[in-house]
Amino acid sequence: MSQYLFYLATIIVYGAVDAMACLALNFEFGFAGISNFGFIIFQSAGAYAAAVLSMPAAATSNGGFQQYVLGLSLPWPFPWIGAALAGGLLALPFVFLVGKRLRGDFAAVGLLVSAVLLNVLVKDYVPLLNGDAGISIVPAPFQSFWDPQGLGYQFVYGAVAVVLTVLVYFLLKRITESPYGRSLRAMRDNDIVADSLGKNLRLQRTVTLVVGGMVAGLSGAILVGFISLWAPGAWGYAETIVLFAAIIVGGAGNHKGAVLGAILVPLAFEEVTRFIPPLANPALVPALQWVAIGLLIILFLWFRPNGILPERRRFLSGNPKSAEVPVPTGGESDALIKLGNLDELNFRQLLRLEETANDNRVILSTQGLTKSFHGVTVVSDVTIAVHQGRVTGLIGPNGAGKSTTLAMLAGTLPSSGGQIFYEGRDITNVPSNQRASLGLVRTFQLASEFKKLTVLENLVSAIPKQSGDSFWGAMRGRRHWGREDKENIERAMEILGGFGLEQYADAYAGGLSGGQRRLVEIMRAMLAEPKVLLLDEPMAGVHPNLAHKIGDQLTRLAEGGMTILMVEHELSIMDAFCDPVIVLAEGRVLAQGTMAELRLNSEVVEAYLVG
Amino acid sequence: MSSFGFGLITAAVLAIATVGFTMQFAVTNVLNLAYGSVMINSAFVSYYLNIHGVTPWVSLFGGVFTGAVASWALNRFIFTPFQRRNLAPITVVIVALGVDLVGTFGLQAIVGGGYVSFHQSPGKEFHFLDMYFSALQLVILAICVVVLGLIHWILKYTRLGKAMRATSANPNLARNSGVKIQWVISTTWLISGALCGLAGTVFAMNTGVFEATSAQLYIVLLLAAMFLGGPGEPYGAMFGALTIGLATEISAAYINPQYKDVIAFLALLGMLTFRPYGIFGSEKTL
Repeated sequence: MSQYLFYLATIIVYGAVDAMACLALNFEFGFAGISNFGFIIFQSAGAYAAAVLSMPAAATSNGGFQQYVLGLSLPWPFPWIGAALAGGLLALPFVFLVGKRLRGDFAAVGLLVSAVLLNVLVKDYVPLLNGDAGISIVPAPFQSFWDPQGLGYQFVYGAVAVVLTVLVYFLLKRITESPYGRSLRAMRDNDIVADSLGKNLRLQRTVTLVVGGMVAGLSGAILVGFISLWAPGAWGYAETIVLFAAIIVGGAGNHKGAVLGAILVPLAFEEVTRFIPPLANPALVPALQWVAIGLLIILFLWFRPNGILPERRRFLSGNPKSAEVPVPTGGESDALIKLGNLDELNFRQLLRLEETANDNRVILSTQGLTKSFHGVTVVSDVTIAVHQGRVTGLIGPNGAGKSTTLAMLAGTLPSSGGQIFYEGRDITNVPSNQRASLGLVRTFQLASEFKKLTVLENLVSAIPKQSGDSFWGAMRGRRHWGREDKENIERAMEILGGFGLEQYADAYAGGLSGGQRRLVEIMRAMLAEPKVLLLDEPMAGVHPNLAHKIGDQLTRLAEGGMTILMVEHELSIMDAFCDPVIVLAEGRVLAQGTMAELRLNSEVVEAYLVG
Repeated sequence: MSSFGFGLITAAVLAIATVGFTMQFAVTNVLNLAYGSVMINSAFVSYYLNIHGVTPWVSLFGGVFTGAVASWALNRFIFTPFQRRNLAPITVVIVALGVDLVGTFGLQAIVGGGYVSFHQSPGKEFHFLDMYFSALQLVILAICVVVLGLIHWILKYTRLGKAMRATSANPNLARNSGVKIQWVISTTWLISGALCGLAGTVFAMNTGVFEATSAQLYIVLLLAAMFLGGPGEPYGAMFGALTIGLATEISAAYINPQYKDVIAFLALLGMLTFRPYGIFGSEKTL
């Protein structure tokens, strides 16, 4: 009988460790979109740290048959705390890899390779952590006065592991359900857009990796304290793939899914195979185990890509019926979009526009702005000035460099030469997210909604200076940010109502029609509280009637003190709303003035208007 | 100097493999992390032909054929359907990792865990400039030169090569200009798969003894060579493979040989951190 109880205790500890690891990896991958293919090294760092902190100095331990660093004989809980710190610290070097501009899959490969590299180094450099043989006889906590082989000890150990896993669950949930969690998910869905709305990607990714690394480190400490040995064979890079399989099966972006996946994949796979009778070929079962993990990943991603427990949709509007409103699909529905009470909205209040007099001063300008790719100059020596409180148009034939110019103004693309001035300050080298915080906000030519955020979440995520939109703000809990978030949601709902989309507040933005997504993007940019709004073909794909209604509102915003620079193809829009208009051709400024003036300019007519 | 000779052979095998790997990335934008498993499966097909009486250099074609067909099928029946679903690029990479596990350990389940080697002698030893080469190594070197010459000819002087480069640079524009994208992609995967199978077989021949998981970490050298020359650049891949091949073997003469691959790791991490578009590349348009 008691042998089953020992087995049960073991299962509980393993299950808690796996669940904790999956929660951490899911936080990184499922919520923040960091594909940490090297996750296992963070768990391993914790295991090694806990081992060498709790063990006596190497020379004195068992006649010095193993070599390792430190050996501080620290009592519990210090080895576990040290393990969490080790996991967190290990994250810091990777901040360079997951920084702003590296593709997600490239960063993932970098992490994978780092995991392989560290394994090789630890394996071959014996003095560090006893090499390939690994560290053994790691003391269990309190073993000096409590026998770790006893049933009571093992169940208490299991209980502690479970309690810590539950704490981790609520800690991570506290982060992911806060405005900061919303920013992490926005970054996951589209990092370049999140950056353009003022999110500090590098900081967000650092926090994610450090928090995930600490949890992973703790899980390693719990494991090593129980099994009392740790060796490179236990943390080959492929172990990370098992955890990925667990999250894919359980449901990425869902904490409960991570726990379920941990129980179904790593735990069940290890345990079930214990009961297979020994075969003639001892390598067969482990080999088939790996094949099964591989198949599980492929089949789940194909047939059930969101896992058994998919990411939960957040219904923020407070209208429970909103879940049942059918989301229109296809472009034909765009013609049917009816704007709401747009003309009654008080933008100045909703968008917190400052009481600025419309003084027509130059707010944004460039001096000799240049961009070249692969030696080809696409924007050459562009010097323009944008005046406060005006809707300035930027037109030109395809390939004229309009979007590139806009991207350089917003900082999405670094310039190759020249300077950009904003409110009298040289911002050429200011990163894009800081430009957004200064009030320089852009939209994108291609669809750029955060797909797995609801329409309402898309809008609220853009609001700057939210008290819950930082790690510490999130940790202080809903009491700290709840009331403010409610106000933000109400503001966003009011604007949604103005644009006639309030019934889709809780729909996933990725499911809307093209025209509706355009509106969501414009609203979102407005809620980022810009002083200068840079719009990249905002009317493309929007029904002409709707385009003109939006244009009217842009004019109203400009009268209210906002400055707008708009790239647009449609001349009727330019005619109706933009003054002045800047014409670009082949990367150079061809002319500028009112549309009426430009129509008389033969050069412009030749380059563009006739086409 | 003798390590230079070693390095040359390592570089030759790596160059064949990396050019195939980078071509796949160029036309389909997939980091095919299952590449190593296709290599080793091809090597085993070639090996089984060999132990059933086929001479090694003929059995090589079995490996090439396996690599070509397996890679084509992998792209056609797994990667392309996943890509059509418009998922994040990372999804396809995770799928590739899954395929790698299935390919490598499926093979292990079938052939067992033991080491095997080709029925072939390394041949006479040749000696010049302080470098020693076996006849086998000289043949590998010759194969590498011929194959890379062939790739150069395809890329530079055939319509296919032009279409490949166009597809790599801008698939939509290429399609609108009348390039039959699907055909180009399929052909590229056949050719790159043939390179993969060839690389796997000569890798196994050169290593001497090998088993199902022997190529598992080869992907690190591949990635290092590819990122050094710029992802998706076949000529960059050749340069990267030469650099990584020589650097790892020459460093093995000075440091603990167990750490020789560390150079490749560090090169890869350095490239990813500071110049993810290669030494010669420049940043792409966002």
